[in-house]
Amino acid sequence: MRVTQGLNQTQFLASINALESGINQGQNQMSSGLQFTTASQNPTAAGTVNNYNQALAQSRQYGTNATSAQTNLSTEDNALSQVQSQLQALRTLALEANSGTLTNSNRSAIATQAVQIQNSLLALANTQNGNGEYIFGGFASQAQPFTLSAAGATYNGDQGQRQVQIAAGQTVADGDNGDTVFNQIKTGNGTFTVAPNALNSGSGIVGATTVSNPAAYDGGTYAIAFAAAGAYTVTEGATVVATGSYTDGGTIAFNGVQVTLSGQPANGDSFSLAPSTNQSVFASVQNLVSALQSGVTSASSSTALNNSINAAINNIDQALTQSSNVRAMVGGRLNSITTQQSVATASQTQLQQSISTLQGLDFAKAITTLDQQNTTLSAALQAFNLTQGLSLFKFL
Amino acid sequence: MSDVFGISVSALQAFQNAINVTSNNVANASTPGYDRETVNLTEAVPQSNGAATIGAGVVVSGINRAFSQAAANQLNTSQSSLGQLNALQNYSNQIDNLFGTTLGGLSTALQSFYSAFSDVANNPTSTASRQALIGQAQSVASSFQNASGELNSLNTDVNSRITADVTQINSIAKAISALNGQIVTGTAQDGGQPPNELLDQRDQLVSNLSQLVGISTTTDPNGALNVFVGNGQPLVLQGQTTALTTVANQFNATQLEISNTASSAVISNNITSGDLGGLLAARAQVINPALNQLGQVATALSRTVNSQQAQGLDLSGNLGANIFAVTAPLATGSSRNTDAVTASVSVSPTGLGALTANDYVLSFVGGTPKLTNTSDGTSVTPAGAGTVSSPYTAAGIAIVLSGTPANGDQFLVQPTASAAAGLKVVLSNPSQIAAAGAIKTAAAGTNTGAAGISAGTVLDSTNSNLLTPVTITFANPPSSFSVNGGPAVAFASGGNINVNGWQVQINGAPAAGDTFTVSGNAGGTGDNRNALAAANQQNVGVLQNGTTSITGGISGLITGLGSQAQQINTAQTAQSAVNAQALSSVQSTSGVNLDEEAASLLQWQQAYQAAARALVIGNSLFTTLISAVNQG
Repeated sequence: MRVTQGLNQTQFLASINALESGINQGQNQMSSGLQFTTASQNPTAAGTVNNYNQALAQSRQYGTNATSAQTNLSTEDNALSQVQSQLQALRTLALEANSGTLTNSNRSAIATQAVQIQNSLLALANTQNGNGEYIFGGFASQAQPFTLSAAGATYNGDQGQRQVQIAAGQTVADGDNGDTVFNQIKTGNGTFTVAPNALNSGSGIVGATTVSNPAAYDGGTYAIAFAAAGAYTVTEGATVVATGSYTDGGTIAFNGVQVTLSGQPANGDSFSLAPSTNQSVFASVQNLVSALQSGVTSASSSTALNNSINAAINNIDQALTQSSNVRAMVGGRLNSITTQQSVATASQTQLQQSISTLQGLDFAKAITTLDQQNTTLSAALQAFNLTQGLSLFKFL
Repeated sequence: MSDVFGISVSALQAFQNAINVTSNNVANASTPGYDRETVNLTEAVPQSNGAATIGAGVVVSGINRAFSQAAANQLNTSQSSLGQLNALQNYSNQIDNLFGTTLGGLSTALQSFYSAFSDVANNPTSTASRQALIGQAQSVASSFQNASGELNSLNTDVNSRITADVTQINSIAKAISALNGQIVTGTAQDGGQPPNELLDQRDQLVSNLSQLVGISTTTDPNGALNVFVGNGQPLVLQGQTTALTTVANQFNATQLEISNTASSAVISNNITSGDLGGLLAARAQVINPALNQLGQVATALSRTVNSQQAQGLDLSGNLGANIFAVTAPLATGSSRNTDAVTASVSVSPTGLGALTANDYVLSFVGGTPKLTNTSDGTSVTPAGAGTVSSPYTAAGIAIVLSGTPANGDQFLVQPTASAAAGLKVVLSNPSQIAAAGAIKTAAAGTNTGAAGISAGTVLDSTNSNLLTPVTITFANPPSSFSVNGGPAVAFASGGNINVNGWQVQINGAPAAGDTFTVSGNAGGTGDNRNALAAANQQNVGVLQNGTTSITGGISGLITGLGSQAQQINTAQTAQSAVNAQALSSVQSTSGVNLDEEAASLLQWQQAYQAAARALVIGNSLFTTLISAVNQG
């Protein structure tokens, strides 16, 4: 083919341009540390890297969420542990008050201590987190959830429970509402309560009560009425369910329940067995305080006091069980957060590796390529220089 | 005897001419469009002396131009393709560089926006996290605006380059037609010898023209060249030119189209190569689709965020107001419509999945509407009647006309073109972010059964009774319940209970007389259900029939724009090679090789010297003869 000087130069310039743009890209790669800086250099990888970056940022956000939930749950756990120790202290006081050797003024002093514990419990129930939110208020976290009332305390919150996203498709509650923790506490043994009739004149005191056969217990309300010499009749409405004879410390059993009594009920005394209802822990404390302050004036009022204190101890135990259960759930949530955090850390590492594989520069390879391009360019320049010297005119 | 003088002189003249031609070649070695010339030597007609014929010397019968029309045509075609790809590449590379691998930070801004929603979910009562969310929303909006602003400025650039190209094409066309006249006259004057310099100039102009716009040419017998553009629209016919003009697009006055002064028809669709073709293609294939896709994502973002917002309550207990606003889809009547009927378009309430990034032309033939997708040409007959109560619906959009369109009316419907540019944050008060769920549920403390009620979800946030308190009371036996004391409804544990636009489930075994309440969540400022749902929306497929999430849409856009740029780069590289080949083929025929010219110079010099020597010998012969005569 016939080659002309003009064509030679045009083609040389084009190839130099191509080489220099390659070198320029190599330099960009080296200075950014990235294999590609625009999507056109590797469109699929650019889209994938974008997806991975989104996933990574999302995973980090889940980490932030988890930390936030962790903080709130720790605050709650702390509060609950203090609630438990207050309730334990209250239980000890109640047991102490149950001793027959105490005077009215002794009991009055214990009542004062119980009131203090009630105040502490109230303060704990109104615990606020670092953001000033009441942690036991449910969704209504900006209104004080508990205010003292004559019957204990009023709950102003709701039954809401806030969830926090700690992983794709996994949420964890970052608290519990006060209704669950302090309000909805079953009375008695958690299934039923046994209460003496206010007009009882004997010394019958309700002791341990249990459900011996859950299948046989129908949730009904029963009356246990005593006649002379310990004979008793259990009725449900007008129906007689069981009859029997009671001796001090004996157990009365019927329809799957067992009630242990102590002392001797008088003729005409009665006890009623009814399904448990929900009662706030503050009402239970208030009942205890009222009983302690009522004073003992007679044998029957002493029996009534013992029965009231026993009932209060039962309710305090239920409250303790409830706070333990809630604490166990909080612990479970904290565990799942920790598990999720380590899973997230692993997946973040994985994502970063994938991103780096796709986008990160293989420096050894990049340097080699750049070096090759440099060599080619200088060879091309040299070759051009050599051929430009070749002209017949030089020899004329 | 006189022959030797005549012959020698003819040779001296011819070789001088040859040396001139060669010198001219050397002089024009670097002149663009110059075609190498060679001298055409012919024997002079001899005189017969009856016995033998002796030659009468040499004459220059013409100067030949080394020109191959085929090679030139090939180069022109290749230049047109390359010009088109160069223009396309210019714009696709600009977009590629501007948007990089994060679409100009849009992707990062979107992620931060959803993270900010998560932060609000963590701390729904915190004004700081709410304020941060609004800040992130603004950053998303300005990222969309910036991206579409960049694309729109590229469109402006396209317009100004179209105008410049058209001006240049017209001036080249004028020059070609002027040269046509000179060439026709010159050829006639020189007795059929073509004026090479003028031909060179004209071919060079044609070559320049081919870089601007794809052309085809024909040559008339008298030497005049006719040039056609596009689909055979004449640009130059002999000495006449038909100028191109720019006219506003019939739907969009901001976009220029190419027209031809002869027919005043828009011929943009026929111009597919050259720089001009590349500009039109860049607008139609690169810039506008990117704007539409960006707008599609912006529409989806605004729609999903606002509808989630509407399902929750803000700090004041009101249903959430919109966070984003986008420009409504555009429907523009053609400037050629014969009546004043206008169209308005909106994205159908459930149309997000069907919404495309395409533009459509709504046309009426015989009163029948037809919606044609401008990107693939497919058309459908939209459902509905085009009225407010029954709009035309198709492809996720609803179109309402202000009247009955005339036959032949056309409207350009652009569902997403302006959405990204118009995306803005319309919520400024951080307390108006609806982080809380709209309703709350509660089980009464006196309940003795073992049933719980779910937190509830909002099905229809527009229900006017949504926030009205409702009590669900279980009958005796608890196999049915009543709502607000209404008729008994059979109870199934976990079954959906739908009232007033909300839905709850009651699980477990309720006891007779148990009550549950559902009420508005005013005061539930610590609730984060709605913020949680909003934060999770980034992973929810909403586009392309629910298969693509908002962030997925951005990734798709990055990959799409990137592969388009890559494809154009590849095509441009390939076409450059083709062009280099065509150029070398032309150069091989018409280019000046200086070594060759040096050799020619030597050749002619030697021939000239020999002819001069022949003259000297003739002279000495003559002198010999004269002196012999004198001596005799």
